[in-house]
Amino acid sequence: MIEKTDLIIIGAGPGGMQAAVSAAQIGLQVVLIDGNPLPGGQYYKQLPLQFSVNQNSCLLKEAASLFDGIQQPSIRLLTNKLVWGIFYNPKTKLWQATLQGDNCPPRLEAPAIIIATGAYDRSIPFPGWDLPGVITAGAAQVLVKYQGILPGKRAILSGTGPLQLAAAANLVDAGVEVLGVLECNQGLIQKGFLHLTGILGQWSRMKEGFQYAKSLLRARVPYKTGWSVIRVDGEGKVEEVTIAQLDKEGNPIPGTERSNSLDTVVVGYGLTPSTEFFRLLDCEMIYSKPEGVFLPKRDPFFQTSLPGIYAIGDCAKIGGAKLAMLEGEVAAAHVAYQSNRTTKDKFDQMTAKIHQAIKRENRFSKMLAELFAIPHGLFSLAKPETIICRCEQISLAEIRTAISYGAQTVTDIKNITRSGMGFCQGRTCASILSQILASQRNCPPAEGYYLNIRPPIHAVPIEYFTESSNGVQG
Amino acid sequence: MTSSNKPSSMRIDKKNSKGCVIKRGNPIQITINDTQVTAYDGELVASVLLAEGIRTFHSKHKTGRPSGIYCGMGVCYECLVTINGIEKVRACQTQVENGMVIKTTGEKNP
Repeated sequence: MIEKTDLIIIGAGPGGMQAAVSAAQIGLQVVLIDGNPLPGGQYYKQLPLQFSVNQNSCLLKEAASLFDGIQQPSIRLLTNKLVWGIFYNPKTKLWQATLQGDNCPPRLEAPAIIIATGAYDRSIPFPGWDLPGVITAGAAQVLVKYQGILPGKRAILSGTGPLQLAAAANLVDAGVEVLGVLECNQGLIQKGFLHLTGILGQWSRMKEGFQYAKSLLRARVPYKTGWSVIRVDGEGKVEEVTIAQLDKEGNPIPGTERSNSLDTVVVGYGLTPSTEFFRLLDCEMIYSKPEGVFLPKRDPFFQTSLPGIYAIGDCAKIGGAKLAMLEGEVAAAHVAYQSNRTTKDKFDQMTAKIHQAIKRENRFSKMLAELFAIPHGLFSLAKPETIICRCEQISLAEIRTAISYGAQTVTDIKNITRSGMGFCQGRTCASILSQILASQRNCPPAEGYYLNIRPPIHAVPIEYFTESSNGVQG
Repeated sequence: MTSSNKPSSMRIDKKNSKGCVIKRGNPIQITINDTQVTAYDGELVASVLLAEGIRTFHSKHKTGRPSGIYCGMGVCYECLVTINGIEKVRACQTQVENGMVIKTTGEKNP
């Protein structure tokens, strides 16, 4: 017997938790699944259970009601579990999620699945970006804030956006010597004035930004706009960084290069949504320029082109935790309405109110996306010998050769070179490949960008697929 | 087998500017590349390796290039190590357990 429930939610970050709480309030039975040991996602990430802390962070205090909310009989929380596929079961006419992990059902079915898989740091390749010691802003946060581990002693940050400031402030606080924070965009203040309407009502966030700025100022960490790391060198690990000033298009200005010795380079060029499930299911996708990837098309209730499959939060469009929670509320209400658990009047009333708040959040995230876009020139930092696909160790030169053979899509490049075929399944390199393809073929990145994905979407031990261990009978 | 109980300077044990300090779990013993090492309950394998000064977790199959922690959230598979004989396990997604045997490739223990 395959276990059934009313709603499966994949990802227990802010959006997934809120969707679960809202759905349970309306009377749905929910299974909430996450790959981490504890719920919270990246934004509300909790310390390991075995750790303790003398005071809780503001963020975790803010999330306390969500953590309490998901502790109730109609929500079954499955942590430390990987969902490696979603399939349509024509026999039951339900969606089926396939899981791996200790003590969990290998399959679960429901009429609706809310996908809330979040996002991860976007990568820009440059010479030496694959040396140990180059880490993402997300990794720096995990190590410092949740593990109490210094990623290194002497570091520089390079990238774009407010997450960089947060990571820098935490590194400084932990005692890392931070040489500087390089923001690849310039003219932020002038650009910011165009977006005053987006900032209205966002004072609490502005305050958060000022806090970071304050601790950086106190440590006299330079914040340089229009600069970027352009290469990293070292024997088997990071030893030296070279930075340069960028022109308006993001190309390094010759003569401005400076080198410094250090052991850690923290990069954060915005976020890449985790769209694996949407591609696996062949949902209708639309290219989104700010993220540089295809994102699922959604109706006003965050349902994808496939009835019963919902996409909320950063996995569908980068918008932050608050937006993810609002979208989760609407999606949960829609699932309830579709299964006749709530009346049309109630549903309309509830969603109309939230849609107002969503509009405000969208204005703010649109502003961030425009202020902190990636200037095009940064995509040309890699040299012919620079590794682009880290898993399969494919260089830029090999990718260019494949394109000159006639590769017209990212999938073609994958078929010719194996780039994007390794363990991470293109999570790191796919959007980079589309940029390389676009610049060589002189077409928009959207034109050649499609990377198919097949189950399992995460590496699963082969033993798992034997019939005795995955619970499939007949 | 040598035993190292040195307090690692990569572990943050002082208060931050907000007065916040993390208290680790109980000390446990694990083995990294045939050396016995003290780790703490709740730590990730990646954290312990960094605390021990190991930055290369494996070397790449094709080029031998060094590879270590990169994304820190289970996405990039750059931090693969061998744990209790099972190859290619993500160090950033695995918590240490007492008696765990971890093997890295490509870099000698400092």
